[in-house]
Amino acid sequence: MSRPERAIAGVTKAARDRWLDVVLGCAGLASLVLVWWIGSRTTTFVPSIAEVVSSIPGFVREEEIWPDVLATVRRVFGALAIAMVTGFGAAYVMSRGGLWGQVVDRYVSLMLGIPSTIAALLALFIFKRSEVGVYFVVAIITFPFVALTLLQGLRAADRRLDEMSDVYRFRTLAHVRHVAGPHLVPYTFAALRNEYAHAWKVVVLAELFAVNTGMGARFARAFDRFLLVDAMLWLLVFMVILLGTEYLLLLPIERRVLRWRGTRQVVG
Amino acid sequence: MRADLPMPTGQDGDGDYIRVSGLRVSYDGTTLALADLDLVASKGDFVAVLGPSGCGKSTLLHAMSGVLQPQAGQIEIGGHAVRGSMGPDAPPIGYVFQDHRLLPWRTVAQNISIVLQAARVPRDEIDGRIDRYLKLLQIDRFRDAWPMRLSGGQRQRVSIARALALQPAVVLMDEPFSTLDEVTARLMRQQLAELWRECGQTIVFVTHSIREALFLANRVYVLTKGPARVLEVVDVPIERPRRYEDPRLTELEGQVVDRVMSVWGFGDPGDGSAAGERG
Repeated sequence: MSRPERAIAGVTKAARDRWLDVVLGCAGLASLVLVWWIGSRTTTFVPSIAEVVSSIPGFVREEEIWPDVLATVRRVFGALAIAMVTGFGAAYVMSRGGLWGQVVDRYVSLMLGIPSTIAALLALFIFKRSEVGVYFVVAIITFPFVALTLLQGLRAADRRLDEMSDVYRFRTLAHVRHVAGPHLVPYTFAALRNEYAHAWKVVVLAELFAVNTGMGARFARAFDRFLLVDAMLWLLVFMVILLGTEYLLLLPIERRVLRWRGTRQVVG
Repeated sequence: MRADLPMPTGQDGDGDYIRVSGLRVSYDGTTLALADLDLVASKGDFVAVLGPSGCGKSTLLHAMSGVLQPQAGQIEIGGHAVRGSMGPDAPPIGYVFQDHRLLPWRTVAQNISIVLQAARVPRDEIDGRIDRYLKLLQIDRFRDAWPMRLSGGQRQRVSIARALALQPAVVLMDEPFSTLDEVTARLMRQQLAELWRECGQTIVFVTHSIREALFLANRVYVLTKGPARVLEVVDVPIERPRRYEDPRLTELEGQVVDRVMSVWGFGDPGDGSAAGERG
């Protein structure tokens, strides 16, 4: 096969793979809708699709839902920022080893085993029903995972590139900017994407226990009053924000920052 | 870990521009890598260091670059002692590694630019130098490419361009073509020989290929098995440009092979004395 033919074959295969992804994605979505439809027909607690869809315009026009949505978004981003910073600090200390490395390692291992519900109850005892409690729960649950992912990154640092930067006398700032920092970027994104989804799940739980505001509290209120359409609408808002941020914000940024990867080697 | 004085850029062609004397390096204080090694090179010389795999050739270059502190001995470049890492103000030394060691997340031009910035080359000179050396290495069309998009030979040429763009007084090369296929490696050797004639930098080239050393260098330091000592110094009296297939190179290669066979073979490590060790 000639080079142009190979190139065309490569493009055709890539296009076919993309189409297959789209088709499979649509099939997955269709199966979810089907499950929802079957659930609504066979149970009394799942509202019908038509009922929920027809309630959306009225729901999004309600002014009082947005402060709750914003409160939850703020908590997720705030707590995640704390978890990322703390996680990086912990990973750095663990990567250095020694007494402090061992101590932090034990703390991280311990915190990995704490269930979200227990953390939420602990926060309730410690911070009462305050905002700090929510941040505490989300940060304490997500930071050990961040630490472990970043620790892998620090341990996988390419010593050969460090040696190159030594030979060419990079100053510390240049080393961090051009060698160590970019090496950690894929690990940071992996931690961010995993823990972003995790943080959303935990924040809703924390809001159930610790505060009266936020999407979790609204969801619980709707469920308590048996407003099943409202509960389903809050669930949809939750999923739209989670997936929207993932696909419209995090993934494009990640693709842009890591565009040097995923390029195939050329022959010549 | 620093050089005591900046190295002058204009050095007389006579005398020893690089002088390594009694160099001794050991790992963990027990494993001796270099044992009282001596080496000299005049300015603009092309010197090859030839030795079997694992004998300590790369260790010699590490010590010469300043990133490795020897236990004993002296290294002088341009009349100034190298005492470990040179510090940001010292004049640069170009280094071409066995593998390219390009930053995969920076483009070809950025890889060179970062090194020039680290050496404090004035900003208005950087673009011009990048263009010049990429053109010289015939890779200017890859200026904005990611290293992952390049072939092994192209990456190594970028690595050489990076070293030369510093316009260093000395370029240290650590088996730069050993990972390339034979045809690419031959083209690269040819290109390096032409570049050296054009740029005139002092090059210390480490290799385990006898033919490669004889083809490229004016003088070849043949080392013993580790811990490395100088076994013999071979001058290559063949005019340039040379052909890789030159029968005189073949003859010289045969003589060196005969000489090193007993020393590089399966005998005791570092058994240089039996074969008339020098230095």
